Amino acid sequence: MRRATRKPGGDRDRNQALFVVSFLGPPVALYATFVLWPALNAFRYSLYRWDGLSEPAWVGLGNFRAIVATGSEFLPAIRNNLFLTFVPGALTLSLALFFAYTVHQRIPGARLFRIAFFFPNVISSVAVALLWILIYSTTDVGLLNGLLRLLGRTEPIAFTESGNLLWAIVPMSVWSATGFFMVLFLAAMENIPETYYEAARLDGASSAAQFRHITLPLMWDVLTTGVVFLIVGGLKFFDAIFVMENGRPSKTTHTLATLLYSKVFQEYNIGYGTAISVMLFLLVLAATLVSLRLMRRERLEY
Amino acid sequence: MIDLRIRTTQALTALAMAAIGVVPGCSLTRAGSSGVVTVEVAVFEGGYGIEWHKSVARRYEADHPGVRINLWGDPRVDEKIRPRILRRNPPDLASANLPVWKLIVAGKLYPLDEALDSPAYGQTDRTWRETMIPGTLGDFRYDGRTYAAPTALGAWVCWYDKRQFRRYGWEPPRTWGEFTRLCEQMTARGIAPLAFQGKYPGYAWATLLSLYQRLVPFERWYAMQDLQPGAFVDPDFVRAASLMQQMAVRYFQPGAMAMTHTESQMEWVNGRAAMVFCGLWLKNEMKSAIPAGFEMACFPVPMVEGGKGDPNALYGGGAENFCVFADAKHPREAADFLKYLLSIESARSYTIELDTLSPVAGSTEGIPISKELQSVVAVLDQSTRVFQDRISNLYLEFGATVLQQAQADLLSNRITPGEFARRLEAGAEATRRNPDIYKPRPMGVPEIR
Repeated sequence: MRRATRKPGGDRDRNQALFVVSFLGPPVALYATFVLWPALNAFRYSLYRWDGLSEPAWVGLGNFRAIVATGSEFLPAIRNNLFLTFVPGALTLSLALFFAYTVHQRIPGARLFRIAFFFPNVISSVAVALLWILIYSTTDVGLLNGLLRLLGRTEPIAFTESGNLLWAIVPMSVWSATGFFMVLFLAAMENIPETYYEAARLDGASSAAQFRHITLPLMWDVLTTGVVFLIVGGLKFFDAIFVMENGRPSKTTHTLATLLYSKVFQEYNIGYGTAISVMLFLLVLAATLVSLRLMRRERLEY
Repeated sequence: MIDLRIRTTQALTALAMAAIGVVPGCSLTRAGSSGVVTVEVAVFEGGYGIEWHKSVARRYEADHPGVRINLWGDPRVDEKIRPRILRRNPPDLASANLPVWKLIVAGKLYPLDEALDSPAYGQTDRTWRETMIPGTLGDFRYDGRTYAAPTALGAWVCWYDKRQFRRYGWEPPRTWGEFTRLCEQMTARGIAPLAFQGKYPGYAWATLLSLYQRLVPFERWYAMQDLQPGAFVDPDFVRAASLMQQMAVRYFQPGAMAMTHTESQMEWVNGRAAMVFCGLWLKNEMKSAIPAGFEMACFPVPMVEGGKGDPNALYGGGAENFCVFADAKHPREAADFLKYLLSIESARSYTIELDTLSPVAGSTEGIPISKELQSVVAVLDQSTRVFQDRISNLYLEFGATVLQQAQADLLSNRITPGEFARRLEAGAEATRRNPDIYKPRPMGVPEIR
């Protein structure tokens, strides 16, 4: 009788829970050990002066005061981050929207374009930077300077020299990121039911009007996600600068991420470097919240 | 079946947890019960590799049956050592890209003086210290003790291809006037006078410091090294910066400021640029690219007309420094092995095998050396003394934040030499005022025997 009242499948539930825990346990433990714990530690280290070799000394907010002091490299680095967020970001978004909309119009060869534009995205960012170093090279292998030579220019342009580097990164960044956002936006566009467009066409709406009044509002959530991706990507920009400056960026080219790397691993100023990382965290958090808030609209459903 | 799967998963989980939780803190060196002492040596594995170090270690073991040398190398040896220094479990001896001055001041290094004042290997009538080329042990002296010993001798020279010079009737210049005239002749021939490693503006620092040395007596040169107030805005320093800028603007190969060291050196090897300022590692770095018939030779930074500096001093000194850690398990044995690495016999094999120079006096005598090295030896033989910068080792922040940017701007003609000098002076002032940055007592002009 007791056996009969027992909830059927109780053992199985327990086993299932154990099963789930045993699968979730290792990744959670790994995440906690290698991500959460070091991240929390970063907050602690940012309050110390520490060279990583001797005992840390408590300085309270001293590192943060030094960061915002005049002449510090922090503000130029933020300026560079903002440049790398908004200049390539705006171009990437516009081009990605344009290409996605064009491909969505089922033009001939749309599939090919989709693959061709997405292709740079599968190359790692370091490889992309190395590739563009060759494109920009001032030696004989430089594609761009070779073209300029054919056009009659006698002296090569030092595109990757530190004074020009940020501008040189713009086309590279747009080239490598547009495909991803195009595919993201295209997927959103393809989810919009065709009937809306049919109705609009019956009402005589132009292509531009359809884009403005149907496509854009109905893919707004995805666009917001795209903007957040671009902002976060711009604020933690590291790879291309690091590779194109051969691991030693200067004040003209430092971003927050390369600056914190340089402070921690090249100058052994670990407290100061982690204070920069804390600021970077706060900036990314604030920028994400602000952009989500600014782009908040009433959700449209179909 | 499902039970079995669950048990397997649990077992795997346990294993994974164990792997995360238990990081073995075991030491690589452990004195065995046999009484054999194991000395752990970590070596930066760069262009010169670690084969020479290994061969010396094998010879040392044969000579010292009670000691085993556990020698390993890695291009990123510093990253491996750093956490171990912190855990007070460092290797015994290391040559790594570490902030040696920070280590000295933090008391992490073991002084080498006891070993330096003991008889040298192979030259027992002299102490180890006496066998070293004067000046090469001076870079890491602190409170009267020596904390690092170099295994290489560096020199900063201008390299050229003798064959190309012969073809066009060019002569290595001795003065700045001769140098600029030569550069003009090269330009007229359509050959860029100088290749430059522009992605690393720091390559200009040794040349600039050499030009400054040509202009002023050593008292003033070392006053700048001691960060004396006003040293960088000294009119002669501004003049040296102006010569450097002139060299960059007029004679660097077009586009050089966007070239890496290998790209620019390749331009030189291919004859599109006639000369390049570099250290002795140049040949090793470019050896696979140097074409047959290329005759690599060098001359020192030219003397500047009207300068008050020693025309025969040479920018150079100890390089590839080794230090013994204070927390080493066997510091005395490690220092002894370092002494052995710098015995006359090891120094000779270093010179022959790696085709570069050793800081042990007389190590090039009586052995076959390459023509390139002969050219360097000729420059060294004529030199009265060596000098080299220590600011960038001592004040890492000044080097990384002020110096690098200011040099890039000077060479790209974005700032005037005066502005360059003012920026350096401001950086020096910030360093002087920062109580957290260690400043050694002014060292003045180091004595040489």
